[in-house]
Amino acid sequence: MSGFDIFAIVLVLLVIVTLLAGVKTVPQGYDWTIERFGKYTQTLSPGLNLIVPYFDRVGRKINMMEQVIDIPEQEVITKDNATVTVDGVAFYQVFDAAKASYEVSNLNQAITVLTMTNIRSVMGSMDLDQVLSHRDEINERLLRVVDAAVSPWGVKVNRIEIKDIVPPADLVEAMGRQMKAERVKRADILAAEGQRQSEILRAEGAKQGQILQAEGRKEAAFRDAEARERSAEAEAKATQMVSDAIAKGDVAALNYFIADKYIKAFGQLADSPNQKVIMLPVEAMSMLGSLAGIGEIAKATFGESAASAAAAARRGSVPTGSTPPAVPPR
Amino acid sequence: MTDMLVSLGTWNWLIFGFILMALETIAPGVFLFWLGLAALLVGLISFAVAMSWQIQLVMFAIFAAAAVPVWRRLARPKPDASASPFLNKRTEALLGREFTLEKPIIDGSGTVRIGDTVWRVAGPDTPAGTRVKVVQVEGANLTVAAA
Repeated sequence: MSGFDIFAIVLVLLVIVTLLAGVKTVPQGYDWTIERFGKYTQTLSPGLNLIVPYFDRVGRKINMMEQVIDIPEQEVITKDNATVTVDGVAFYQVFDAAKASYEVSNLNQAITVLTMTNIRSVMGSMDLDQVLSHRDEINERLLRVVDAAVSPWGVKVNRIEIKDIVPPADLVEAMGRQMKAERVKRADILAAEGQRQSEILRAEGAKQGQILQAEGRKEAAFRDAEARERSAEAEAKATQMVSDAIAKGDVAALNYFIADKYIKAFGQLADSPNQKVIMLPVEAMSMLGSLAGIGEIAKATFGESAASAAAAARRGSVPTGSTPPAVPPR
Repeated sequence: MTDMLVSLGTWNWLIFGFILMALETIAPGVFLFWLGLAALLVGLISFAVAMSWQIQLVMFAIFAAAAVPVWRRLARPKPDASASPFLNKRTEALLGREFTLEKPIIDGSGTVRIGDTVWRVAGPDTPAGTRVKVVQVEGANLTVAAA
């Protein structure tokens, strides 16, 4: 084989190797750093890239997609000395491949450790109750601190989430009992309150009833008194009128009234269904005497004309059934 | 084998060229395509002009090397050729958008809330609550100015 033969073969190999070294296809989602003699010079973005063969070398292939790291479980002592087990996740994305390659030696580990220590410091400054109920606040504080810390590395931490917070078992049990006691207390208070309310309502009802009853009685008494007053007044007036009449007229008028009442009472006696035999005291007959009085009243009332009429009647044949004219009612 | 290669003569280049171009689709890297094209070119030329195989090899090497600058000129990558140009460039998508300052910019650094995360921004000192506009993006660092 001649020298030219070997030269031709080697030349072809050299060209192929050179092309292989110079043409770089970077896949989407990655950035490659280029080092010239070991020193960073540029970053290749996704797509086809050419580098100077033999001088340049691909340094690091950096994942530019958002990535998630599991923050391993660790024990954290809260401000009130409870030991809780905590784990979480962190999401980060590289924005500057060069910084992520050369400013930090192991990016994943750095972020993990940074997050872990910050979880300890954030949660250590809170009480257990706060730790359990303020997860959002913890996440937010962690995010701010860690994000600020990783920024020199060309990285942005987008999110840190505390996954699990597990207090020790005996503490969980105590918390359960506390919650139960709290509920029982509330139930008891509610029941007592209900009873109190109902008793108040009942007493109020009774009171209202008594007041109303008393008011009714009072009203009735007032009305009774008024009635009595009125009737007394009427009696007084009647008596007055009678006495006036007597004063003006004859005493015999009095007799008329008495006789009138007497007869009415007598009539009632007779009307009564179980009283067929009526025993009258002898004095009752004196009532008849009052009839003479009636005649006298009639005389006094109707005066002479009546007397003459009576006389005429006595003389003439006036029917015996005719009664003297009625005394006008008072 | 060698007999066959010798008997095929110039056809070797054409066969080699097409195999290279076919390989390109399996193992993408573009340069195999250019090697294949160079091989085809050598094949066509050797049909017209009789050359020794050494000369043909050297020609192939020269064509392959020359392909790179030619290809670079022809297929200059256009920056916005992608269907989603902001893929993996989240910050660049924020350029020109307006946000409300969550924490004031003091000594050149404050925060805005974008999406459900907090971004630290650089810019002139501004009180919280001001509308700001992203004017410059560099990695994860946003520079803002009052909108």
